[in-house]
This record gives sequence, C-alpha cells and structure tokens, in this order.
Amino acid sequence: MLHGTLIESGLENVYWGILIVTYPYISGLVAGSFVVSSLSHVFRQKVYDALAPLAVLVSFALLLAAPLTVLADSRQPINFWELLSRGHWPYSPIAFFILIWLGYIALMLCELYFAFRAENVRRAVAGGPRWRLYQVLALGNRDLSPKTADRDRRVLVLLSSLGILMAFLFHGYIGFIFGSTKARPLWASPLMPVMFIVSAMVSGIALMWVVYVLAMRYFGRPVDRSIADGLLRYLVLFILLDLYMDAVDFLTGAIPAYTQGPVAAGFQRILLSGPYAWIYFGLQLGAGIFLPLLIWLVPRWRKSWAGGAIMSAGVLVGVYAMRWNVVIAGQIQSKISQDLVAVTVPWFGFDSVQTVLGVFGVAFVVFLALAWLFPWKAWEQTATEESRAAEARSGTAQIPAQGGTVS
Amino acid sequence: MEQLQPGISRRRLMRHLVLVAISVSAAGTLLRSRVRAQTVKTVTSRRRWSGEAAARRLYQTKPRWASWTVPEFNQPDEWSNPTAWMAAIQNSRHVGYVHDNFDRLYPVSKLPHHWGMVIDVRRCIGCQACVVACKSENNVPVGVYRTWVQVVEQGSLVSDPAGAVVTDQGRYQPNVKRFSLPSLCNHCDNPPCVEVCPVKATFKREDGLVLIDYPKCIGCGYCINACPYDARFFNPIQQTADKCTFCVQRLDRGLLPACVTSCVGRARIFGDLNDPQSAPTQLIGQYATTRLKTSLGTNPQVFYIGLDGVLAEGGADAFNTVYPYAVGTNTEEYDDLTGRVLLQTPTGGEGGTP
Repeated sequence: MLHGTLIESGLENVYWGILIVTYPYISGLVAGSFVVSSLSHVFRQKVYDALAPLAVLVSFALLLAAPLTVLADSRQPINFWELLSRGHWPYSPIAFFILIWLGYIALMLCELYFAFRAENVRRAVAGGPRWRLYQVLALGNRDLSPKTADRDRRVLVLLSSLGILMAFLFHGYIGFIFGSTKARPLWASPLMPVMFIVSAMVSGIALMWVVYVLAMRYFGRPVDRSIADGLLRYLVLFILLDLYMDAVDFLTGAIPAYTQGPVAAGFQRILLSGPYAWIYFGLQLGAGIFLPLLIWLVPRWRKSWAGGAIMSAGVLVGVYAMRWNVVIAGQIQSKISQDLVAVTVPWFGFDSVQTVLGVFGVAFVVFLALAWLFPWKAWEQTATEESRAAEARSGTAQIPAQGGTVS
Repeated sequence: MEQLQPGISRRRLMRHLVLVAISVSAAGTLLRSRVRAQTVKTVTSRRRWSGEAAARRLYQTKPRWASWTVPEFNQPDEWSNPTAWMAAIQNSRHVGYVHDNFDRLYPVSKLPHHWGMVIDVRRCIGCQACVVACKSENNVPVGVYRTWVQVVEQGSLVSDPAGAVVTDQGRYQPNVKRFSLPSLCNHCDNPPCVEVCPVKATFKREDGLVLIDYPKCIGCGYCINACPYDARFFNPIQQTADKCTFCVQRLDRGLLPACVTSCVGRARIFGDLNDPQSAPTQLIGQYATTRLKTSLGTNPQVFYIGLDGVLAEGGADAFNTVYPYAVGTNTEEYDDLTGRVLLQTPTGGEGGTP
C-alpha cells in the first residue's frame, strides 16, 4: 500500500501528517497549563500557589517545543527565516505564528523572572554552590522590601492576564488555520478556534494533574489533596464545556438537513461510519469525555488516585484523538476525486511516530532543565515565616540557619 | 510594617511599560510601512506590458533550458541556479505582482493582458497528450501532475438479466455517460492559495497568472490544502509546492502553453480575456460556460463549455472515475482495484503490497 504522508504521488495526498496533529496538541497543553498557573496568579486561589511555578515551567517547556513539530513537518525548514522577513499577516493565518509565538516567549520570560525573583534573591544571598546562577536569574535586583514584593505581585497579575490572552491567541490562531481553509469541508467551520481552546483547557488541566502527582511522588512529598481534587473539579467543568462544543459540532456538521452537502457527507463517511469512527466514538468521545465523567460520578472512584489518573489519561488521549479527527480526517476527504485518501503513519523517518516522540522528548528535557534551574519546589523555599517577617521589618533578606556568603 | 508607597513603583512600572509600548509600536510601524511600501510600489510603479520589445529582449538572453534548443542532458543549467530562471519566470520588470487586494487588481492596473483558458469538454477525447506535453515541457516529476485529464462516468449500473456487465451478484446494464474532464490550476482571481501563504512565496501576477517563487517556499503545505481544485502538489524533487504556470516561460516569449499546443481535438483554447477579439473571449460570449466550484468564491479563470453541473461542483459522489491514476494512486479504492502498486519513491524506497 502506498502511504500518503511518505510517498505523495497521485493527485490527492495527506500532506499534514502526525506532526501537525501534535502541533495543536502541544500548543493546547501550553495554553491549558498556563491557565492553571493563572489560577493562583490572577484568580488569587491560594490553594494553587504551590502548583503555579510548576505549571509555568511546564507551559514554557512545551511552548519552546511546539514549533519543532511544524519545523520538522516543513519541506524547507532552512527557509524558516522567511517567516520573519516576509510575514504575510494579517492575510495568512500561519503568518500570525511568528508574532504570537515570539510575543508569548517574551511574556513567559518576564513571567518567569517575576514569579521566581524573590526566591532567587533569597538563594543568591544564602549562598551555596549555585548562588551566582540565582544572582543572574534575579538580574541583580536584590530588593526584598514589601514594596517590591507588592510590585512583583501586581506585575505578575498583569503578565498572567496578558498571558491568558496570548495563550488563547496562540491556540486560537491554530484553530483559525483550519477554520479558514474553505477547500476542506470538515475544517471550514467558525467553531474550530473555540473548540480548540476548550479542548486545550481540558488537556492542560489533565496534564498538570499528571505532572503534579508524578513530581510529588518522585520527590517523595505528600500530594496535596486540595490541589489534585480542585484540578479534577476544573477538569470536569471544562469537559462539560467540551461536550457542549462537540454537541454543537455534531448538530451543525453531521446532520445533512442542517449543513452543506460535503460537510455532512464527510462527517458521515469518515467520522460516524468510516475508518475513524472508532477514534471519534471510542477515543474522542469515549475516553476523552464520557469515561472521565463516569468516573467523576462515582464518589469512590473520584477520590481514588487511580480514578484521577484514568480521568487525566483518558482526557489526554481523547484530546489527541480530537486533533487527529480534525487534521487527518479533514484531509482524507477527497477534493476532486473519489473515495477516501489512504494514510498510514510511518514509524520512522519524515513525519513519523519517531519525530513526534522526539519532540515530546525535547519538551521533557527542556522541562527538566527548567526545573533544575528555577526554584519551584515549595518545600525547599528558603524563607520561613519568621524570616519573611524579618524581611518585612528590615527590607533585606534574612537567611535562616545555613547562612552563606553574603556579598 | 512600613507604609506601602505604591506610587513610586507604579511610576517605574509605567515608565517601563511605556518604553516597551514605544518599542513595540516602532517595530510594528516599521513592519507596517514595509508592507505598505510593497503595496504602493505594486500600484504606482506598474509598467506597461511592452509586448514585442520585451519578447525580443528575452530572446537575446535566451536561457539554455528553453525548449527549442537542443537539450543537453545531465549538464548543469539554469534549473540548478534558481535565481537565474526565477527572474525570467517572474518577469517582474515587466509585470507587477500582488499578494492580496485582488479585487483592486485589474481596475487599478489596466494591464492589456489577462490570461485565461476555455476548455471545450465536448472536444476532449481523453488522449492525455496534454498531460504528457506538460510533463515534458515543465520537467514535472513522476507521480505528480500539473494538468491531468480525469475520464469519468456518470450514471449507474442498472440490474438487467441480459446486461453486458457480468458480476458475481448478477448482470447489469450500464446506464452511464462518459466525460473527459481536463483539469489544471484555475488561476483564480481570488486565489485562496495566495492568501494563505505565510511567506508570500506564491503570488498573482498582474496579467492573471498565479505563480510560485520557489526559493522562498518553506514547504508548509498550506497552499496545497487551501486549493479547492487540488491543483497544487509537493514537487518530490525540489521539495516545494508546485503547480501549473500556464507555461509562463513560453507565454513570456509569445508561445501558447504546451497543453494547448498539443491538444489534438483543440479542446483547450488559450488567450487574453481582456481582448474582445481573442478566441476565449469570443467563445465565452457565444457559449454557455461553467467554472469549477464557483460556490467557493474563488473566481476561477478556466472556463468549461459543455460541462455537467454536477461535475463542476465536484465532490466524492459526483462520478465514477475510469482512469484510476487520476483518482490518486494512494486511495483505498486504488488498492482494491489493483491490489499491487510498485512505484519508486523520492526517498529511494519502494511502495509495495501490505
């Protein structure tokens, strides 16, 4: 069998393969995990204070890895510079990428600075093997007075609010790439950006649940029940929103009487009764929506760790299936000829499972580096309640116990 | 506890924010003015199509790959140096090009030429000579097509005890009509492929041609997905998007496109749609013409005479395709039909049976 993503002969092919399935998936995780961090920064939910730094790091690592998917999928990746020098915005949805992504990177760097500045200063003052590193990360500003702390907090609120906007823009523009392609009946829908953003929230929250629990287990710390259960509550809320969006999509896409011929034909032929019916019903709706809701409805399952893990894993699988059903299913509907276009994802080589795993691997390594660099661990904070009070009195860092080279 | 003095820090914060805002707006203005300068340049510095003078000038600097010279195979030529032949293909010294505001294109520029094609479906015999000529003229690699002729059947098999088609399930009588449907890039006046290109590598020339600046292409595939006619493809050799150019290299030297020249039934008629006396204009005036997928608002510039309305809108269920290569060799139907496909791949591998 000839495989569309690999060989590309004949008239119709699937040009956007599994890497482009992964691109909106990763950017959705970026947006979702950023919104989780803003629960503490913007919405002042004290419960999530311990989670916010971790969520910022996860979001930033995935943000750095996200463009690797499109870069690897591009046939002329060396020409990426043309995106900067010949940007075609506001006409081309892809051309928005460079503005939104660079803006988001800049914003995340500011966010990292202000979120970790106080702790960096305390560690730089406290000394230790890495004090120079913390000195650099604090950009030399050693002010720990309450005034500065208050400024940091207010800047962080502003940055996080802007960040939510950027996260929505970043993910919404990807939805717009598909929604604006009128040649593909299953893509050309104004619902697309909204569906993408809602499922981004769902997948980001599920990812943060998994990362939080795994990180706590790894470091042998107790998992905060209020954080884990709170995340699951938000998860269910957004799953219900996602269910609503899927219902609207079904009503406006799958029913011949309500929609245009090619849209309904594609929906019926590919998703409802065709090759991807099992992905649509089994994974996107089953694992991604109904399984988590079912577990949530049984209190005993909801409160167990396995229940939470299955909910999160199901959501992560279901959202990936949703991306597949958008990107691939939209392309296997032929434009000018008959029948569905065949596509098989290769294991190795261009546009393969191997490259996708590589991108996730890069994201993981970047996350490890960031987690090593930034003092996100709540249980290792150098400042105790007494030292904070002392700081507030004197306006300088008071180092408990271990001391160090105070410059 | 010291009294908070938010005023001072707020002032510092505001100062920083103002600095950031100024630099962002300065950068935005720079970018914006670049875009505007390009647009203005297109509109104001347009040059008249200098016709014969331009053609003569180009003849004098005739590139070696031009089709009327004796071909030297396996020799380095201008195809291996894109900047040399791109200048000839774009021909931007004579014709401007745009990336958007297509509605303003013709009223503003008033260029003498607006190229278009009329395809008389009644005269097409499905010989595929145009496909071969196109491949030969344009070095189109194996497996992809700039123009192709689908031979399609419309209708159905009717169950009939005395039918000519014998199957395991009984005999059928075909109640069908057979069409040949020559297809190529429609050089739309409102081309979605040009709008979506993130690097402006593809553009619409002021005389109507939609072309690609290959060295600028990043190979993202967006234009290929955005084309409703599937006229674009990835060139497996140069790994960029590629498509029909109306044989721009011939056109700029006063020749007709290769598919038009080679058409034995003279089903393809090419000419200037701005010229009231040209053959396509006369045909469009005298016959009822159809264009493909007009519902998408792309305003295509290839007109069909005698084309069935169902075929014009296309869609998977509009017809049965007779020539399977035109279906695409990677459909499930083709697998069912042949069971075995062997084709050399660009990467050196080989497709085989599963």
